[in-house]
Amino acid sequence: MDGELHPCMRGNLMSVQTEPHLFEVATRDLEGLPDARGESVRAMLAADHGIEVAAVRVILGYQVQADLADEEADSLVHDLFADPIIECGSRLTRLLDDFPEAPEIAIQVGYKPGVTDNPGQAGLDGLLTLFPHHSEAKVATNRTYAFWGVPENVEPGALASTLHNPMIERASVAGPAECSEGKWPALGFPLNPPAPYSEPAAIDLEVSDEELMGISETGLLALNLGEMRAIQDHYRDPNTRLVRERLGLSPNAPTDVELECLAQTWSEHCSHKIFSASIHHVDTETGEDSVIDSLFKTHIMQPTLDIQKEVDWLLSIFHDNSGVISWNEDWSLCIKAETHNSPSALDPYGGAITGIVGVNRDILGTGLGARPIANTDVFCFGPPDYDGPLPGGLFHPSRVFRGVHAGVRSGGNESGIPTINGAMVFDERYIGKPLVFCGTVGLMPRRLTDGRESHVKTPEPGDVVYMVGGRVGSDGIHGATFSSLELTEESPSSAVQIGDPITQKKMLDMILEARDSGLIQVITDNGAGGLSSSVGEMAELTGGAELDLGAVPLKQAGLSSWEILVSESQERMTVGVRPEDCNAFEALAVLHEVEASVVGTFTDSGAFVVRHGEKPVAHLPIAFLYGGCPQLHLESEWVPPLHMPFEAPDLDAIGMGEALCRLMARPNIASKEWWVRSYDHEVIAQTVIKPFCGANHDSPGDAAVIAPIQGGTQGAVISNGIAPRYSDIDAYAMAAAAVDEALRNAVCVGVDLDMIAGLDNFCWPDPVESPKTPDGRFKLAQLVRANRAIDDVCRAYHLPCISGKDSMKNDAMLDGEKISVPPTILFSLIGNHPDVRKAVSSDFKSPGDAIYLLGQTHQELGASEISYMMREEGRGGIGGATPDIDAERNLAAYRALCSAMSDGLVASAHDCSEGGLAVALSECCFGADAGASASIDGLLSDCEHLDAWGALFGESLGRIIVSIRPGDREAFEEAMEGNPCHFLGTVVQGDAITFSRDGEDVLVASMGSLRNAWKGTLDGGVG
Amino acid sequence: MAGRPRAAVLSGFGINCETETMAVFEMAGATADRIHVNQLVTGAADLSDYQIMAIPGGFSFGDHLGSGRLLGNRLRFGLREQVRGFVKAGKPVIGICNGFQVLVKMGLLPGDDEVSLTQTASLALNDSGHYENRWVTLEFDPSSPCIWTRGMKRIRVPVRHGEGKFVTDDRALLDKWSASGQLAVRYVDPITPYPSISDETLPYPTSPNQSWRNIAGVCDPTGMVFGLMPHPEANHSTWLGATWTREDSEHGEGEGMAIFHNAVEHLMGG
Repeated sequence: MDGELHPCMRGNLMSVQTEPHLFEVATRDLEGLPDARGESVRAMLAADHGIEVAAVRVILGYQVQADLADEEADSLVHDLFADPIIECGSRLTRLLDDFPEAPEIAIQVGYKPGVTDNPGQAGLDGLLTLFPHHSEAKVATNRTYAFWGVPENVEPGALASTLHNPMIERASVAGPAECSEGKWPALGFPLNPPAPYSEPAAIDLEVSDEELMGISETGLLALNLGEMRAIQDHYRDPNTRLVRERLGLSPNAPTDVELECLAQTWSEHCSHKIFSASIHHVDTETGEDSVIDSLFKTHIMQPTLDIQKEVDWLLSIFHDNSGVISWNEDWSLCIKAETHNSPSALDPYGGAITGIVGVNRDILGTGLGARPIANTDVFCFGPPDYDGPLPGGLFHPSRVFRGVHAGVRSGGNESGIPTINGAMVFDERYIGKPLVFCGTVGLMPRRLTDGRESHVKTPEPGDVVYMVGGRVGSDGIHGATFSSLELTEESPSSAVQIGDPITQKKMLDMILEARDSGLIQVITDNGAGGLSSSVGEMAELTGGAELDLGAVPLKQAGLSSWEILVSESQERMTVGVRPEDCNAFEALAVLHEVEASVVGTFTDSGAFVVRHGEKPVAHLPIAFLYGGCPQLHLESEWVPPLHMPFEAPDLDAIGMGEALCRLMARPNIASKEWWVRSYDHEVIAQTVIKPFCGANHDSPGDAAVIAPIQGGTQGAVISNGIAPRYSDIDAYAMAAAAVDEALRNAVCVGVDLDMIAGLDNFCWPDPVESPKTPDGRFKLAQLVRANRAIDDVCRAYHLPCISGKDSMKNDAMLDGEKISVPPTILFSLIGNHPDVRKAVSSDFKSPGDAIYLLGQTHQELGASEISYMMREEGRGGIGGATPDIDAERNLAAYRALCSAMSDGLVASAHDCSEGGLAVALSECCFGADAGASASIDGLLSDCEHLDAWGALFGESLGRIIVSIRPGDREAFEEAMEGNPCHFLGTVVQGDAITFSRDGEDVLVASMGSLRNAWKGTLDGGVG
Repeated sequence: MAGRPRAAVLSGFGINCETETMAVFEMAGATADRIHVNQLVTGAADLSDYQIMAIPGGFSFGDHLGSGRLLGNRLRFGLREQVRGFVKAGKPVIGICNGFQVLVKMGLLPGDDEVSLTQTASLALNDSGHYENRWVTLEFDPSSPCIWTRGMKRIRVPVRHGEGKFVTDDRALLDKWSASGQLAVRYVDPITPYPSISDETLPYPTSPNQSWRNIAGVCDPTGMVFGLMPHPEANHSTWLGATWTREDSEHGEGEGMAIFHNAVEHLMGG
């Protein structure tokens, strides 16, 4: 770097002690070696922003702050930063000078100070491999994009805004004038100045109610008046005051540390206040007027407790970081899913990667530690082709989609955990807040070699508290309370983080070795609420803990006590270790290059006591911290919404085929292959039924089947169900459809119906009535109905919920307009598979095979995908009957089918869901490169007033398309006796898919055109 | 030699396929130990106690600064003599995916007679610009000296990488490696009859990364050191295949196992 400041350095106020060295790397000009990074940017600009540029080149920059000798710097170019074969590197000149023709626009993007820079961290590691004496060195990375052939109407600033997120990144832009003079963009080193430390302060709560609420709001505490008063009361208690006086704490007022700790612990995010509330529920249809004491206890936990009396495989439910089932005598499985919605709205990549590595830690923090072995990802986004007005502060859905996808891809792939199953749902109301569900399955031995059961935590007073993994920074402060608030333009950037999968992977390797060596007494992750939650929750088990904030390693000097306590900086676990095991534990940390620091001790003192060095900063009785939050009292009123009815046009068979083609192209139904392929779905060599099946590996699988023990044939089935559209009519139908879809998918691969367990993840708009939420009673009634559906259906299916999560503030207030997500449940299922060699895939196998439809079809087009399509095309509404559920009937049919599968009678099975029978049958044909000839005559016996639209596009529950080899038909029909199972027709050679009624064609389509439509919508636009 | 050969399967820093890599060596008749790279650095483990070294797939150091680069440097600078000694002793080494990238970037592959650890090739970003998991068909050069691929014709295995395009900056080397049988394994179109290895780049996605000459993996001049981008260890059992539900074959070992059997049989004097 020549040391001359460029115009683009304006605004960079960071003082730099020594001028950083800038190393630059670009792809070499070799024939047959494109600049693939540049090509990806070019294609992304065209696909997502409609900007066509002629060429893009990407230069990777590494700023190194260290006192390097010349020969050291030269070595770094060739031995570290630039690949000697395919890249050119420079350190004293700018590569932008080297292009034969100067670019028209050059944009450099780098992180803001304090934002996690994973490549920078890797670069530092590599530098220290070569020159260990530069232990004080710092490395930051940036990217420079050079453009040629930019359309005249595209401003450099607009181009820059597509390439960086100002919340976490900086951009330096050189337009045509600067470029022609060789004035290249040059960001300064992102030095993170020390945080402004503030002494722990006492907060006077002896103030008016308005001032109490002011304290809550300005502090982003998200506590309501009742909760603030409960805290006020605690500090009025003479016993409290006596204890505090003795300790040297402000006797009659909380410290800021205590108030923050209470706010985290009592946040909606951490304590699920709405699910625990007392709800006065009124149903205007039935006249019901009742009080529900906790939806969670009544409708989620009770059914599971009742089922637990009948089975012996429910090991750990609801109280740990994930639910645990005993899979066989040697191994148990656990599963957990979480959402990371608000962070993903602000920074899609960072929010999503943090989400996936975060839920991996929930698994690692289950029992004494489980190994994450599979991820599932379900996303709800605005439509990628949305062209309506976009409120300020929001990213276009296609950008959210691409960023979230990239984050989950990095997080899963780099952690070595296969992404085996997922879904994507599109609806305009997810523009305000995308829903990003990240789920993980874990595996752990039933017993450790020391005899302890690994799903039981065994902490004792005196155990040493370690913080392991990453350090604490100002990133991630207030994530838990922030997610308990609606999203606004002022949402804090500190709530956004970027996960670091490699730091976490090293920690994971170390923790699992420590577990197997019997060194772990208790473990949990640092997620929402940071140390306040992790140490606090485990302190509940022994009855107390002491924590020294001064012993916590920091990313950044100067953090205040409360910030260290509640920071949600990633990649950290909190572990309890017996004093005599500390040496062995620390030796493992050294081997794996993982930081492990003693930060406290578990006690049985009855209190969570926090010091910062010698200074006491918090004393919170465990009973108050975990039992002091007052119950909410909420109002719920159900008034069924009104909708225009679905209107079916009168179409001939060709017209119906064209309607099917349009349906196949809708984002909710279209192939997600381009996106899913970039997830590793096979690492660990266990994935038996993959996301793709069929002759061309491109037809969609239903549930995933894994065989987690290498060489073993016992399997686990993982599936998901999600059907938010039905909430528009009735959230009961939505919830029932989600549970049935998850189970149906699992049945399609041959799950063991005697060992199935569920996860309920609720994402709701704020259901608490207030001036900001005038329709709170209705939204709460939707929640009540959804819970009742989960209760009814899970009981009927003997499907216990073993864990779950709720996110209750999925609203965005932007430009004064409130956008609420449709009430959404993701229901995930894990089940046993007795023998993976008998698993069944969804693709038709051979022409001549017989096609059957299991289950009953009714005229149920309300809120179906086709009704939304017709409404968008200007015809009718979405009103009508939603799918009813007859769980007893479905379960009997599912049992018969699974039994036929284990007898080897079933060639294929595919779930009938969005888009109904016609869509599902087409997908089965794609997998076989074949057509099908089917009749809907048999379906009429299920429902007298069933019409062709209901038969072909209705989404009645409990239905599965199966195909049977001709020689197995008789045995199959016998196996299905007593269950609704209609013969539809046969798989045929060629391209024609036809449905007939009474011998007349009602739908005719070409498999090839359907497949093109289905593949064309979400093709990624890149590569 | 007597007894089961011992395989050192390296781990740490983001390597993540060690579980299945250990499993395939065990299935093939070896014993496998998971060895953290730092155990070799500190002397807690000694490579000379092992007959096979495997560097599994993964995302060492997050693939930052080029996949395999940083782990390659740890080995090239931190374990230089241990690794050279192992190779010079004529012991089999395999690198899979990220492990292959490590071997190429530390200069062990395609390598030279002196084991000079000089990089002569690289693995560039796929032409698609992104990571992909998809199944491919591989065909082996029957004249290769590679002991790992002896007697093999074709197998179906997945690729799972973003940087797998094999290139060099000296095209003359490609001819040299081709002549010496070091271009041991290539991507081929499964519908063509065997043999069909071709130097013409096959269309995407038959060639998933647009590797030069469809190269999927290479060996060193001795045939003892072998690396490839695809994952043979991921197809260790028939039920892990991409289209096994469409096939009527008996269940048992998957198509990828032959590679690991070859190494074990070589050591057992087979």
